[in-house]
Amino acid sequence: MLATLAQAVVNGLLIGGVYALVSIGVTLIFGVVKIVNFAQGEFLMIGMYISFFLASSFGIDPLLSLLISMPCLFAVGVLVQHFLIRRVLALGDMPQIFLTFALSLLLINLALLLFTANYRTVQTPYSELTIHIGPLYFAVAKLIAFAIAMLLSGLLWLFLHGTDLGKAMRAAAQNREVAMLMGINPDRVFCVAVGVALALAGAAGSLLMPFYPAYPLVGQIFVLMAFVAVVLGTLGNITGALIASLMMGIAESLGVQFVGADSGLIVVFVMLLLTLALRPNGLFGGWAR
Amino acid sequence: MHKSNRYTAAKRLDRRDFLANSCGILAASAITGFGIRSSAAADTINIGGLYPVTGSFAQIGQGCVNAAKLAVQMVNDAGGIKSLGGAKLNLIVSDVQSDPTVTRTETDRLISSYRPAAIHGAFASALTLIASEVAERAKTPLLTGSSSDQLNKDRRYTFTPFSRASQFALAQLQMSKLVSDQPKVAVIFENTAFGTSTSNGLREQAPGQGVEIVLFEPYSAGLSDASPLINKVKASGANMLFPVSYLNDLILIIRAIKQVDLKIAINGGSGGFVIPDFYRNVGNAAEGLLGIAHWNHDINENAQKINAAYQKQFGEFLFEYAGGLVAQTFMIADALERAASADPQKVRDALATLEVSEGYAAMCPGGRVKFGPDGKNIYAHPVGVQWQRGDLATVFPKEDARAQLIKA
Amino acid sequence: MTQSKVGRPWLWVAALVAVALALPLISSPFALDIFIRVLLFAFIGVAWNLMGGYAKQLSLGHAAFFGLGAYTSTILLIRFGISPWIGMLAGGVVAMLASLPIGALCFRLRGPYFAIATIATAQVLMLLFLKFRDFAWGAEGTTLPNLGDAPLMMQFDSKSAYYYVALALLALGLAITYSIEHSWMGFYLVAVGEDEDAAEAVGVDTTKIKRHIYLISAFLTALAGTFYVEYIYFIDPNTVFSFNISVEAALVSIVGGVGTLWGPVVGTVLLEATSALLQSWFGSGHGGVQLTVYSLILIGVILWRPNGLIGLFSDLYERLALSGSSRAKEAPLDG
Repeated sequence: MLATLAQAVVNGLLIGGVYALVSIGVTLIFGVVKIVNFAQGEFLMIGMYISFFLASSFGIDPLLSLLISMPCLFAVGVLVQHFLIRRVLALGDMPQIFLTFALSLLLINLALLLFTANYRTVQTPYSELTIHIGPLYFAVAKLIAFAIAMLLSGLLWLFLHGTDLGKAMRAAAQNREVAMLMGINPDRVFCVAVGVALALAGAAGSLLMPFYPAYPLVGQIFVLMAFVAVVLGTLGNITGALIASLMMGIAESLGVQFVGADSGLIVVFVMLLLTLALRPNGLFGGWAR
Repeated sequence: MHKSNRYTAAKRLDRRDFLANSCGILAASAITGFGIRSSAAADTINIGGLYPVTGSFAQIGQGCVNAAKLAVQMVNDAGGIKSLGGAKLNLIVSDVQSDPTVTRTETDRLISSYRPAAIHGAFASALTLIASEVAERAKTPLLTGSSSDQLNKDRRYTFTPFSRASQFALAQLQMSKLVSDQPKVAVIFENTAFGTSTSNGLREQAPGQGVEIVLFEPYSAGLSDASPLINKVKASGANMLFPVSYLNDLILIIRAIKQVDLKIAINGGSGGFVIPDFYRNVGNAAEGLLGIAHWNHDINENAQKINAAYQKQFGEFLFEYAGGLVAQTFMIADALERAASADPQKVRDALATLEVSEGYAAMCPGGRVKFGPDGKNIYAHPVGVQWQRGDLATVFPKEDARAQLIKA
Repeated sequence: MTQSKVGRPWLWVAALVAVALALPLISSPFALDIFIRVLLFAFIGVAWNLMGGYAKQLSLGHAAFFGLGAYTSTILLIRFGISPWIGMLAGGVVAMLASLPIGALCFRLRGPYFAIATIATAQVLMLLFLKFRDFAWGAEGTTLPNLGDAPLMMQFDSKSAYYYVALALLALGLAITYSIEHSWMGFYLVAVGEDEDAAEAVGVDTTKIKRHIYLISAFLTALAGTFYVEYIYFIDPNTVFSFNISVEAALVSIVGGVGTLWGPVVGTVLLEATSALLQSWFGSGHGGVQLTVYSLILIGVILWRPNGLIGLFSDLYERLALSGSSRAKEAPLDG
């Protein structure tokens, strides 16, 4: 019984790491640029396809392909910010939300058009490998994904707190006008923010590839959880998103184990609604705006 | 932002945009009016195919459309409908976009614009139910391989040549006894129509077959991680697993089972389990896995012939739903032949009296088709299949088996 | 405000009504299907617009009310034999009742938090209905019984009848919106929408306003839900609680023009016309082409006319109407 509980926690924690990469990206964009990116899941999907094609055409391991998918998606992020997002920044919630929605629809259908709906998987030597510690088992591919996700989150934290550009981003997030007065170029900062966020999503995709199939709609599966985590952890709060993601992965897993496999999602949503009822700005309070 | 005069602006716009609105509607109607096409010319007969070429079922839908086109080509190459002077079939395909509203309007559009003699589709149960309702009211016959039992209730224009959800369940249970004397089965199923109808059939019939169900667990389709689910399966002590799932979840489930080294026999039902993409994605882990299908490409010579032709053109074997609809096309041709008319009502009556035991129209398990008053083929039954060396072989029941069942 | 430049407004209304009433007589069944869809989604858009357009509460969970309306009337029909006309109203009441706790929970949330919370409530309802097999058919859903031509049970042989019902619903929605616009409530509504804190500061009971408009919005959306299932003859949780419905409800208003009477209608006409055209050009071809083009158009519209296309039409009209007359007499344009 305890072993089952522990295993459920482990399972949830590991997948929570992947949720974290997606949700941190969303919350980063929200904190700095102040818009909600509903297309985040599709950038995960793009990361998956990049890794898939590198693996199937050149035999490059998905983990190695991180070195390619992340920069690619960073570039995509800069382009998206500069050519699309920048033009709706001053317009208010609705056009912004619908721009990213439309972008999501576009990317899904472009993928359908270019890659067909067929599922793509990659077999690596460690795809089915597991480590046994006592009664618990850890899927190696997921363990690696978790570890790298935590590493990337840590690197992001260092970037935001240790580098000038990172601090500029945090400044712009806290108060755009004052940041501009201090000489920070908001556009450059936004480009970096969106670029980093999309790179993280792409990383999530590459990390998923050893154990998850790629297909045009795959982003939709992860984006829902990611969004709940973002809200739960308070929009704009990166540590919050991380912790909330892990919590939600665990909650989902426990829900599946002890309530019912179709209740995982209900448990998560109820968690969300209860939290918002008690803390309207998410667990970590403080309106990030 | 848009503050201050916006309220007054809104009021002022009201009058002006009456014009805008009416222009818009008229423009739309003019434009969309151009979409109308007339019914078939004298020497072609329209038949319709409704399949989800985009959206969540896109993968299967595309394969179905390929097969539908191939089937029509075959009918035409064999001389078309002789009783109508060699008239050729003209297939009109409509993408239902895996969406209910679109299915509703597309079925209507297909029927009212092209007046097909008959239609077939639509893979997903929910979409097929809607199409069936529309076809019923439009008095156009619909043939479908979809297994929902609801399709045979209270309607005269829907014909189902293949086995029903309840029959699938029975076959799965019977097959479980081939693998173990004391089957203890874990049933996990996706919680929408496909999974629910199949799994209910399993639950109802298990006691009668002497099979114990130790876990009966619906789950939300679209898993991000199958581990929690497999954890539950492991804890239940089952020695057999029946997952009723779409392909994306099946891939995760099979891989998760391997990851935890769970030694358990698997009967994956049909759906995503019996398509080539399953093997492509799961690889060797698929070897020996059992499934159920309402059609397979080795059930008789005709099926093998078609499979060869399909494989040549599209590079993969002809899967269950697609093969079934080829047979349906020939059933429609047979009905047209006997009715000597493309009038949907006459074709419907000809289908109701259909009785074939040879040729492509009879290409189904058991090799015979005859519809009862509720549109069910009285000879329909599913076959058990097994992945062997990267191909799907029919292994059950004995009369239909084309290969030996390989035990793990 | 300009008066006679636009002509007598009621003349335009009458013309429009005449066209709308006559349309089924001159349309093919295919076109009629499109019009029904346009009317229905315009109606849903109008219902949403009250909440999302005027009060600026971006709800992305209106499917919750849609589905509740659909299920209420279907359950009453199939389990109790009650006519969907009555069931429709009952569904509206159920939705109104549901909007109270949902509102109580969500109104304290701002912006994206509110949006995501509404998404969550619709999803929870969907998940619950997927489970309830006993009284609500669970995941499999059910087809609606074929009653032939039974106008009293909202089933018609003639498609035009569905058209007129949808038209009546849209007219109802527009009438309600119009009367709210010209009432005290409308005044407060826009105040809340423009700047909720400021409104609160000057003494407007924003929560009460939001609650009231939510009631109305939910009621109307539920009516649409009943009509929808009567029209497609089928109901299941995935269809009627679908996120796509919530998105479409908001999208047509945003594309057309939020917070305007005709915005949702303009938006629906344009989006549906585009969609239908694309479907007939690309529909049976390669998967993904149609929606790729559609989303490109959507992005184009959002970037080019973020306030909705209704502004475009009025600009065009102005240019046409004023091309002859002296510009000097023209009142200043809206800001």
